[in-house]
Amino acid sequence: MTDITSLRPLAAVLVSAVAIAPILLSGSRPNVRESWTAVAALAKFGIVVSMVPGVLAGDTYVTDLGSFLPGARFALEADALGVLFALLASFLWIVTSSYSIGYMRGLDEHGQTRYFAAFAASVSAAVGVAFASNLLVIFVFYELLTVATYPLVAHDETDEARSAARKYLAYTFGGGVAVLAGTALVYWLTGTVAFTPGGIEGLASADPMFARLAFALLASGFGVKAALMPLHSWLPDAMVAPTPVSALLHAVAVVKSGVFGIARVVLDVFGPETVGNLGMGLPLAAVAAFTLVVASVIALRQDNLKRRLAFSTVSQLSYIVLGLAVLAPTSLVGGLLHIPAHGFMKITLFFAAGALHVETHTDDISDMAGIGRRMPLTMAAFAVAAAGMAGIPLVAGFVSKYFLLIGSISAGQTLFAVALLVSGVLNIGYFWPVVYTAFFESPEETDEKPLISGPLGGRLSWGRAAVADPAADDHAGADAVADGGGDAYGHEGGHDHAAGWERRKWTGGESTWFMIAPILVTALGSIVLGIVPDGAVFLRIVRLIVAGATGVHV
Amino acid sequence: MSDLPALLVVLPILGALVSLLAGIRLDRSGWYVAAATLSVQVAGAVAFAADGLSGAPGSYAVGDFTIPYGIELLVDGLSATMVVLVAVVALGVLAYARHAGPRSNRFYSTYLLLVTGLTGMSVTGDAFNMYVFLEITGLTAYALVASGEGGRSAVAGLKYLLVGTFGASLYLLGVGYAYIATGTLNMADLSAELAAVGYASPLVRASFAFVVVGLFVKVAMFPLHTWQPEAYAGSPDSVSALIASLVSTVSAYALVRIVLTVFTPEFLEAVPFARPLLAATAAISIVVGSGLAVAQTEIKRMLAYSSVSQFGLVVAALSVTNATALVGLAIHLVGHAVMKGGLFLAAGLVATGVGGRSVSDYDGLGSRMPAAAAAFGVLTLGMVGVPPAIGFFGKWYIVVGTLEAGAWGLAVVILLSTLLTLAYFARLLERMFFREAPAGAETGPADAAVADGGEGHDVGSGSSADSGVSLGMVAAVLAAALLAVGLGAAVPAYESALAPTVEVLLS
Amino acid sequence: MIDVLVDRAYFVVAFLLLGIGAHMVIGDRNLVKKVIGLNVFQSGIFLFLIASAYVTGASAPLLSEPGPYVSPLPHVLILTAIVVGVSLTAVALGLIVRIYGEYGTLRADLVSEVSDGE
Repeated sequence: MTDITSLRPLAAVLVSAVAIAPILLSGSRPNVRESWTAVAALAKFGIVVSMVPGVLAGDTYVTDLGSFLPGARFALEADALGVLFALLASFLWIVTSSYSIGYMRGLDEHGQTRYFAAFAASVSAAVGVAFASNLLVIFVFYELLTVATYPLVAHDETDEARSAARKYLAYTFGGGVAVLAGTALVYWLTGTVAFTPGGIEGLASADPMFARLAFALLASGFGVKAALMPLHSWLPDAMVAPTPVSALLHAVAVVKSGVFGIARVVLDVFGPETVGNLGMGLPLAAVAAFTLVVASVIALRQDNLKRRLAFSTVSQLSYIVLGLAVLAPTSLVGGLLHIPAHGFMKITLFFAAGALHVETHTDDISDMAGIGRRMPLTMAAFAVAAAGMAGIPLVAGFVSKYFLLIGSISAGQTLFAVALLVSGVLNIGYFWPVVYTAFFESPEETDEKPLISGPLGGRLSWGRAAVADPAADDHAGADAVADGGGDAYGHEGGHDHAAGWERRKWTGGESTWFMIAPILVTALGSIVLGIVPDGAVFLRIVRLIVAGATGVHV
Repeated sequence: MSDLPALLVVLPILGALVSLLAGIRLDRSGWYVAAATLSVQVAGAVAFAADGLSGAPGSYAVGDFTIPYGIELLVDGLSATMVVLVAVVALGVLAYARHAGPRSNRFYSTYLLLVTGLTGMSVTGDAFNMYVFLEITGLTAYALVASGEGGRSAVAGLKYLLVGTFGASLYLLGVGYAYIATGTLNMADLSAELAAVGYASPLVRASFAFVVVGLFVKVAMFPLHTWQPEAYAGSPDSVSALIASLVSTVSAYALVRIVLTVFTPEFLEAVPFARPLLAATAAISIVVGSGLAVAQTEIKRMLAYSSVSQFGLVVAALSVTNATALVGLAIHLVGHAVMKGGLFLAAGLVATGVGGRSVSDYDGLGSRMPAAAAAFGVLTLGMVGVPPAIGFFGKWYIVVGTLEAGAWGLAVVILLSTLLTLAYFARLLERMFFREAPAGAETGPADAAVADGGEGHDVGSGSSADSGVSLGMVAAVLAAALLAVGLGAAVPAYESALAPTVEVLLS
Repeated sequence: MIDVLVDRAYFVVAFLLLGIGAHMVIGDRNLVKKVIGLNVFQSGIFLFLIASAYVTGASAPLLSEPGPYVSPLPHVLILTAIVVGVSLTAVALGLIVRIYGEYGTLRADLVSEVSDGE
């Protein structure tokens, strides 16, 4: 383990923050504006990737910006845990950027400049959370993340969106206050707030009452964004946001920053051993187990697809927290691996839901009968990701849940293992009907299909196969989509729904490639993670983290 | 030691005289005189700060009289901070006032006299001298508040005068008690003599109570804040920015000075009612101030109540009297002055630009005046305590300070104050950025946003061209927003520079 | 009890003045009377401080007189404070003139009623 002084962590955080200015300035020229987003996304991913080999070799990249407050320096540190989260967030940002372009243009949304600027700011903050080297720095980025995502939640500017955003602010700032309080307590107890693998030394010997209080404050503070019950209720409401926002932020960046915070607290502030000694692991695990079962049950009863996905998120996040709280090395691996696994799968699901919304304006599952014919690729990807969510082998979810189960059982926590299995069944219970409806039913009633006339699916001139190379905005060529996308839009207006969903080809006739490609990429990612978990870099990073925190090689 | 401390007090007086005299011949000369004076003042203040922050606290004897008998001026980290703050904020607000008015030479003359009073309060080391400067500050502030047009500002000024004088008189009464008990007025001398008299003496205790309550009036702690909302809301925008950012701040500094230098932390230890008086007032102010702020519909009144709440934080930090909390106190005084001044200026900017002074007028401001709305948003978040803005740093030190002192209740109140602050600012953020501008407002982009380009481009140019918003006004507001974010970087250096001062204050 | 009060007659008077002044400032609706009340209040403080400087049997602090002297410092201070008080009164009366011109009344309640309607 060596520390390498490098500007790369800082650059990874700043690159999208710097892009905000050009994005705002080129607001009147959407293509230029989106190419800034693309450039920043690719650069960010590149910087993060460039640190992966070093991190796998046991190095840590550090940018030290000088002292910040007593007991804390303003330093960014790319260690294994940080790189895990940053890699996930920055990769999925690329995909989401492409998807956002298709989605926002497809719906002719207002305020797109603000949207893309806030998006870039959020990703900066998320990577900042990933690379924070101590509790104060993580708090800074955690709060900035709240601020940056607020405009995204309130994007629609309807009363519903505003009240959801208000709730979001209240919840997350409330969580921020708890984090601040916990941080202050930790500082007061130990004189430092720096992340130390295996835990800050002073905490093990500190007054257990105060240490417990600090842990509870930190865990509940981060738990707000991790949507632990009963602090979850902002998440389903925040689904009024545009779907790419829900996808990246509410399935990946925001909620994962909460989970990531808990991981930091468990692994690097208190250390698994101290958490165990304080007896705080069990209550946290109990909350998580409760959340994951109850949220699954609630999800069963949601007819709005995005709300069902939201409760699924609430439930799945608790898998991660449960893995962390059980404290056994294997369950830690499972929990941490579930961060990328859930990220890939959930973003696929949200992308699919968003594509349905853009193309057919269908939001409720009861209206989706036979929609698999209209959007075959999308729904196929949805089915793959849903299978992964339920823990079916060959998809990412299986691997992480396997580790979680083994870990819980080996730690003697059979009850939690049962909770995991029950929730797995419930997962099937709420995802299968969607898949079934989409592929194996046909609409019995055809009177009120919410397909609205008017320009749909974006405008032809912007339809480009830019996913493969989003940066080359101007010469990627529109030819790639012209056959599929172009025709589709042409027919949309005059389509007659009395006969159910129109059948579209599997070759991309269902939507623009801006949206199909991200869906396929993330679905493919879920499968790769499921088939060759060791080949994909995430599991190696996770093993490294757990070895660092517990000394046990899993 | 140079004569700099005295010169800093004298210079604005001279400037005020020159401005007044020049006004006889040249009608529009006041601003230039004031700008020149304050520029020199800023330079002098910086030199003074270099002195005060670079080592152990020192002092300066006015007219070379032997210290306990003559007037002493203090040169330490805290007074240096205040002097620089006063000079810089006064210059910044002046840049704003050039176009926003009031523009008479008498106004600038009074303005400079206010700077004198504030600088004097910051440097003086004599309890009675403090009273004189307190009254100079008060008198000029009353006059400035009343300098607006219409009856409202006159009424606000008179109300401010009645309540403010009441506070200053109580302060004088308290100083009188201390004098009766000890026979001296020099702060350092007083602290030694008071200790010799004994903290159990009713004279000493009464003195503490009167002085503290008198200054509570000036700082506007609940329930003695009644003058503040009307004074801020009724005065011209540049005046309310100046007063909101400086008068309460320097009064709070005076409170700190009196409590720590004259009465010392041992007094707080020895007298059972002293610390709870401070802590309870602070906690009540934080909570009730925020609650009242939520209830306001007029922006400037809301900001005024916000000040009541924020100064609760300052007094809370004072009540625990340890080094961490004191550093937080100093940082929060500076941060609050910058942010609150900036907010008042931004409110004035909005009122000039789109003519709205109430909360509902802020609908869709983000598309009507993007620069003002962005600055307002940044300052708002700074007040809430979102890092890395300066508001966070003050709050952090104060919270850690209260924890170190074991004042759990205060720590909880301070932490919750974040949410209380959010309660009244979040609705503004929402209105500014996520509501359509009301019909008939001079804007197009909010409606034209359907065109994919999105809003934001070439917005605001229309509204700023024809509505009397000047470059200086926008620059002052943006500077405040930038300072609010950027000052955080100076905190570590500032903390170590302040360390010797804090040590002396607490000893 | 009576003895104590008589001994401290000056102080008793001073605090009576304080009370009367405060009552006038708070209780009276007429703006001019409020200002008068403020003056009474301040006078109470001035008298209190002057009285505190008195030393039994001492002479005025003139070097030609034999000692002991009464303390001269409070006199100087109160002179300053009186000057401050006079200027305060001047500013207050100036404002009242303006308010009268604006609203045509000197009653605080009426003024606030009118200005609320603005």
